Amino acid sequence: MLGQPAEGRNTRWARRAVLGVVVAVAVVTMVRYFVWWDVGARCVIGMRPSLVGYDNTTIKRALATLQSGSPEDYRKVCAHVATINPNPSCGGFGGGCFWHSEGNRGRASIDVSTEHGLIWTVAIIVHETCHAIQYHEGRPPWFDLEHECYGEDDRILRALVQFE
Amino acid sequence: MRRYAIMAVIALVVVWGWLCAFAWFDPLVFCRIHIDVELLEGDRGPIRDAIALVRREDPPAYRALCRWVDRIQEERQCDAGDPQADPRLRGQSAIAPSAVDPALIRAREAPGCYVRGSRTIVLRRPPEGGGGAGLVRVRAEALKRLAANSRAFWIGRVR
Repeated sequence: MLGQPAEGRNTRWARRAVLGVVVAVAVVTMVRYFVWWDVGARCVIGMRPSLVGYDNTTIKRALATLQSGSPEDYRKVCAHVATINPNPSCGGFGGGCFWHSEGNRGRASIDVSTEHGLIWTVAIIVHETCHAIQYHEGRPPWFDLEHECYGEDDRILRALVQFE
Repeated sequence: MRRYAIMAVIALVVVWGWLCAFAWFDPLVFCRIHIDVELLEGDRGPIRDAIALVRREDPPAYRALCRWVDRIQEERQCDAGDPQADPRLRGQSAIAPSAVDPALIRAREAPGCYVRGSRTIVLRRPPEGGGGAGLVRVRAEALKRLAANSRAFWIGRVR
């Protein structure tokens, strides 16, 4: 009987410890796989879970590549994109998508498939960010929306890919 | 005591296996480079052979590889531009090579490329039956050159 209060205390501590570990694992998983967080640039971008097995870290590596390789493009992504969906969408596997919807009036959500690896993931992020910028600037409907954005992804590929 | 020793050995084997399974791992020089290949058709073996060749033949290049590259990714090709940027080619499923910018063709045919702003090297996947010693040699030379590109980017950025 005398041992009971100490036993109860131990049980409570054990429960708290387990809870603490669970919360810590959840936070680490959340930050590692679902959030791009750049305190210095005040840039936070959410990432949706990938449903097709491709790793969300490809998106993070693509953002890190832009951050160091093309700071101007990185600033545009931070300013115009709030969420990245890494699942194939209307662009299919290896493509991307931007939806002209009310929900994208503020910082937008873009769809970026990561199937073709780092190089194309960077290019697609820049391409879809270009569409977000066009939408936020209220470009007129007759504006050639795709031409400008293909030009943008072509530019970033030429700037970053070094093969010789 | 013996039980703890056995547990420690098991843990060591698991950690070692984890570090080696998807990467080049050289603990003597604290070098680990993640190797990404296609799940079904990829093979890390020839990439490991190419790194081993660099280590054997060119220690300074191997040091640069370990210091400035953290990931080697095998892809179908290196794309140094988007052919769709040319309105004449947009939407075409099969584009004649003669219509594409020669620089893009050269990039596609290159054994590999470096992505500026990253520590990633992309190696071109060999064509069917295109393996062997020749492939290892070509890749070793590409790794040396591309590691130097990565080093130049990061050192230039610090200055």
